[in-house]
Amino acid sequence: MANNNPPRNARSAATKPSSGRRAFYGVLVAIALVGVAAILYLKQSPASNDTGAEAQAAYAAAQRDYAKAGPPKPYVMGNPKAPVVIEEFADFECPVCGSYATVTEPDVRKRIIDPGLAYYKYYDFPLPMHHNTQTASNAAACADEQGKFWEMHDQLFAGQDAWGLNPDGATQVTDNPKSVFVGYAQAIGINTAQFGQCLDTKKYQSRINANAADGFRRNVGQTPTFFINGKMFAGSIPYDVLKKAVDDAAAAAAAAPAATPAPAPAK
Amino acid sequence: MRRMTIAALALIGVFVALYLTMYKMGVIGHLACGFGSCERVNTSKWAIFAGAPVAAWGLGFYVATLVVAIAGTSPSLVHRREISYLLAAMSGVGVAFSAWLTYLELYVIDAICRYCVMSAVIVTAIFIVSIADVAMQPRVQPRVQPEQLPE
Repeated sequence: MANNNPPRNARSAATKPSSGRRAFYGVLVAIALVGVAAILYLKQSPASNDTGAEAQAAYAAAQRDYAKAGPPKPYVMGNPKAPVVIEEFADFECPVCGSYATVTEPDVRKRIIDPGLAYYKYYDFPLPMHHNTQTASNAAACADEQGKFWEMHDQLFAGQDAWGLNPDGATQVTDNPKSVFVGYAQAIGINTAQFGQCLDTKKYQSRINANAADGFRRNVGQTPTFFINGKMFAGSIPYDVLKKAVDDAAAAAAAAPAATPAPAPAK
Repeated sequence: MRRMTIAALALIGVFVALYLTMYKMGVIGHLACGFGSCERVNTSKWAIFAGAPVAAWGLGFYVATLVVAIAGTSPSLVHRREISYLLAAMSGVGVAFSAWLTYLELYVIDAICRYCVMSAVIVTAIFIVSIADVAMQPRVQPRVQPEQLPE
């Protein structure tokens, strides 16, 4: 009879509805609730302090300088009479902007801009901690002089690994981004001599500063930042979220056409 | 109890990895990072592994561990040593991967992401409890033979 004890215990463990298991599931539910709450809380928290004191100081100094800049002149795409205006403030050297430009933006162009659902405006917002981004903004402006801004825009974002940040996220791949950008100018078929001279003289630096200044005025604090008919969306946003925001803005514009007139083209 | 502990740890890991995955997918514009350099780490080229964000791999790992651990608490599997071995093997791979990522943070990227550290601590704790589960699991599984049970 004594040999029967272990099986009896085993049967008990195997068949008894355990209050311990109920408590276990209760703990899992509690963890899940805390986890969801934590993510929602963190989503609302201020941006990280990754940039450090030095970069923050440079950012503040740039903000003061930009305050003296003139009116912005963004780069535009699409139908200026579209009911919705998407404005993007971006930094050519920012990896998140690069991810948006190469992954999401092709869909935005094909499915929102090309059908005329929205008009797109790109504003330079070069961050001071990115040492090659000013040159990149100048390269884009110089390509715009020859009618190829968006082609250069695409080359710059797709080629960030060749001229932007190193994997350490702090240092640059090259100290001579111009040589890379001249290669891009050749690739998109513009006059490289004219492009090089434009780049050397920083011919459009005031335009870049003015675009950034508009971002500071509108409380842009990170890149990319979007405004969809004036409503701010800070950070990269997936296509579906952007499309819904465009649809909502179009519906609001249709409901109150006098309240949300389509802005005049900036170019 | 040990597998329940593993499941609870894995569920915490799910939310840590989910937060980082949401950032990589652009659902969250920035990481809340009071100290450390979360965005530097998570925008580096090392944040992608085999074509997918490292955070997404972590999310998959924690979900798989959670499922195995919960299944392992069911009466029919609670004494199965295979579950213990599987959890130990999975978490062993997780610890090795976390060790490599921590090395990259300290010596290559030169920045620390507190969520990555949190994940490394969680996976290490899972590994330790998994090893304890292997060691403490009875070698001979209790077998229920209805005909042997007393009335």
